[in-house]
Amino acid sequence: MKHESTDQTAWRCDKCQQELELTKVKVKYMEGNFEVDLPKCPSCHQVFIDEALALGKMKEVEEGLEDK
Amino acid sequence: MNLDKLLATGDRCIHKEPPTCTANCPVHLEIIDFLAEIEQGNFQNAYKLMEKKMPFHKILGRICDHPCEAPCERSKAGGSIRISDLEKAVLEYGAYKPKKVWPLPKNKGTVAVIGGGLSGLTAAVDLDKKGCVVTIYEKTNRLGGRLWDFVGDSLTEEVLLQELKAVADKKMPIHFETTVDKNKLSELLATYDAVYLGTAAWEEEIKWNPLTFQANESALFVGGSLVNQSDSVIFSASSGRRAAISIERFLSKVSLTDSREREGAFETPLHFDISGKEPLAPILKSAAIYSQDEAMAEAKRCVKCQCRKCIEGCVHLRKFEMSPDAYIRQINHSERIILGTHYANKMINSCAECGLCKEECFLNISMSDVIHETRESMVERGKMPASAHDFALKDMAFSNSSRFSLVRKQPSKEESKDLFYYPLISFSDYVKGLYKGTGKTAYLFYPGCQLPASYPDDIKSIYEYLVGHVQGDVGIYLGCCGAPADWGGQQALMQENIEAIKRVWEEMERPTFILACSSCMRIFEKYLPEIKLESLWDIYVREGLPNKDHIKTPQTLSIHDACGTRENSDLHESVRKIVAKLGYGIEELEYTKEKTKCCGYGGLVYYANREQSNAFVSERIGESENDLLVYCAMCKDLFVSGGKRTYHLLDLIYPKADGEAATRKMPTLSERHDNRSRVKQILLKEIWREEPEETMMEDQFKLIIPDDVKQKIEDRYILSEDIQAVLKNAEENNERFCNPETGEYLARLRRDNVTFWVKYEKEENDYILKSVYSHRMEIVEE
Ligand code: SF4
Ligand code: SF4
Ligand code: SF4
Ligand SMILES: [Zn+2]
Repeated sequence: MKHESTDQTAWRCDKCQQELELTKVKVKYMEGNFEVDLPKCPSCHQVFIDEALALGKMKEVEEGLEDK
Repeated sequence: MNLDKLLATGDRCIHKEPPTCTANCPVHLEIIDFLAEIEQGNFQNAYKLMEKKMPFHKILGRICDHPCEAPCERSKAGGSIRISDLEKAVLEYGAYKPKKVWPLPKNKGTVAVIGGGLSGLTAAVDLDKKGCVVTIYEKTNRLGGRLWDFVGDSLTEEVLLQELKAVADKKMPIHFETTVDKNKLSELLATYDAVYLGTAAWEEEIKWNPLTFQANESALFVGGSLVNQSDSVIFSASSGRRAAISIERFLSKVSLTDSREREGAFETPLHFDISGKEPLAPILKSAAIYSQDEAMAEAKRCVKCQCRKCIEGCVHLRKFEMSPDAYIRQINHSERIILGTHYANKMINSCAECGLCKEECFLNISMSDVIHETRESMVERGKMPASAHDFALKDMAFSNSSRFSLVRKQPSKEESKDLFYYPLISFSDYVKGLYKGTGKTAYLFYPGCQLPASYPDDIKSIYEYLVGHVQGDVGIYLGCCGAPADWGGQQALMQENIEAIKRVWEEMERPTFILACSSCMRIFEKYLPEIKLESLWDIYVREGLPNKDHIKTPQTLSIHDACGTRENSDLHESVRKIVAKLGYGIEELEYTKEKTKCCGYGGLVYYANREQSNAFVSERIGESENDLLVYCAMCKDLFVSGGKRTYHLLDLIYPKADGEAATRKMPTLSERHDNRSRVKQILLKEIWREEPEETMMEDQFKLIIPDDVKQKIEDRYILSEDIQAVLKNAEENNERFCNPETGEYLARLRRDNVTFWVKYEKEENDYILKSVYSHRMEIVEE
């Protein structure tokens, strides 16, 4: 799962007022476990997922796993 | 899932069975393809098909006695297709030089062929091609036998000589002027590995096997005029070819009989119904041979006999380009694979389980049942994609939670005392009904979950009507019958739900259920046959309509029957009686009553494959110019969303002031929840005069939702309570992202198995939604 988004640059964590950093993040669904580089708040660890990723690649992978 | 039973069902489907013309052709020319090529003007391709199946196609194509023609289905609608004339035309316009074939090594064994006529030559050429060393014995001084009798306008001497020369060129030894008698035959049998006897007559009777053409289980095989009851040339050729197959098997020492049932002419199990086709007379030839145009026109008359009954009626089968036999093979594959992708899942979840296929199939093959069983098996094996039905199952849980579910007996006489005063007691049927109350619940009104969601204001009116009109006390039971669990293949959940309904029924001393939803009707009939049912619509017909004077502008309506009521013809009649009584004309749709189609909601296809659902909708609403009349809330919802003017029966029975009923937009998914809760509140307050324990969920945040975002929320099955929850968490815990450039916030919250995201802007106390989306994948935040 690769992240291809452009509009994340301006976003920051509202709670910690920190810039997001591209970090390896664990994601899981059903039997699947992966590590993906995603923008994340270095302090509270909130992970940022934008619409294009959620409805694009993520959905595709979800569907793929559901059909396994 | 019983896969043997599944495959047996697939085998019963006659979709792939050959048409009667091909079945009656002893060499099984693929006539549909053949005619289709001609129709397109592709004479060469048609020629290729003749070459593939017909021995000596240049000869037989000109003299075949065409047993394919008489049984042609077209004979019942204008006249048989002139297949043999078309073969002649194809030889004329499509012939090309034969390709050089490289002979196989001759190591299969030695064969003597007695008789150089059509059957002998067919056997000889076939065996030579298969790698046998063939020797021909002919009693005259030339090859061809009775083929010479056919020389004339069609089969010229030139063509015949050419074809016989091609045989001679194969360099098989030919012994001319050699008569073979009994003694000589014994000699040949001792010399060769096998012998084919293709002479016109023989001195003594020979017993032969009609399947293999083998004589006396020996190395002797017979064919041609000896075995034919007629002088059909095509049967002769076919017998030579079939005997050659036997000889090859004999020489290879393999079974002579395995899978040969369909060699030669046979009766096809295909039933083709040509009654719907316009009669068309055969195209006449303007010369001895069809011109190309004439041939194309004649080929066009072929109706391409194939059973597609169910496929024609079903936009699901058409969308996936599946015939039931192929569909079943895919299911079989999907059920068997352990590792790897289950490609058929999406398809299996795109069937509406509407049952039209079974209704259309004269063999009663029910894809609905097959697919339903498959879904149950998928759930059992943990292979059902969670996302397919998740929303509908949650919706069902909602309806069976305290936010909607309710069971009450009719208000007792004692509790209603204060209503028994003049004039109420003489003019209100409802109050009269209460006055007659006995305390024993004879009926339980079960409106289901979708009707209260779509028509929240009518449930109380209907209830009051029932109390005032049916004999005996009427209680109420709000909840969901479990249709989503059934459609989703969730048997365990379904059973649980059924048990719960049964308990209420027992507690209420087994009342008759009054149903108003066609899905409930189907579910109760399927799972609760012990419960006596009545349909609300039947009661209206029996007891009279509630409002007497509501005939608006009389118009003609087309009735769309709900697919769950397919087998309920009494109900179909009741609905029509109500519509007629209300003063409307009725024009039946092509697919109506027991042959009705699904609106696109059935089988949860609406949730599992929206595109497929839309295809159901648009096909159905395209069937008629008239406004539609439906009696299921979901049918109405889908048709109106598809842009079709549609009335629900309740729109006509309980007309409302707020605008045009036929175009009124149906409530959103969230509003459906709210409406159900509201129905419960209204009933409790106004009928039972109780203060509801549960208060309606109040929205904490005031949302401003632009139309495009509203549509997204619906399409993505997101509820306003999900949005409220995300905002609550974001606002209270500051768990959100912000974009200083745009002033927007983005917040997420995982609820159950879904993470919801809301992008919004704040203005004073308003929350302006920019976008809403979700994913099921879990992000580990650490
Ligand atoms: S109509 Fe066409 S497919 Fe049907 S029997 Fe006749 S030739 Fe064959
Ligand atoms: S049940 Fe309905 S949707 Fe499913 S295959 Fe049969 S006709 Fe098509
Ligand atoms: S109606 Fe459909 S299921 Fe029945 S035989 Fe024909 S193609 Fe097969
Ligand atoms: Zn943070």
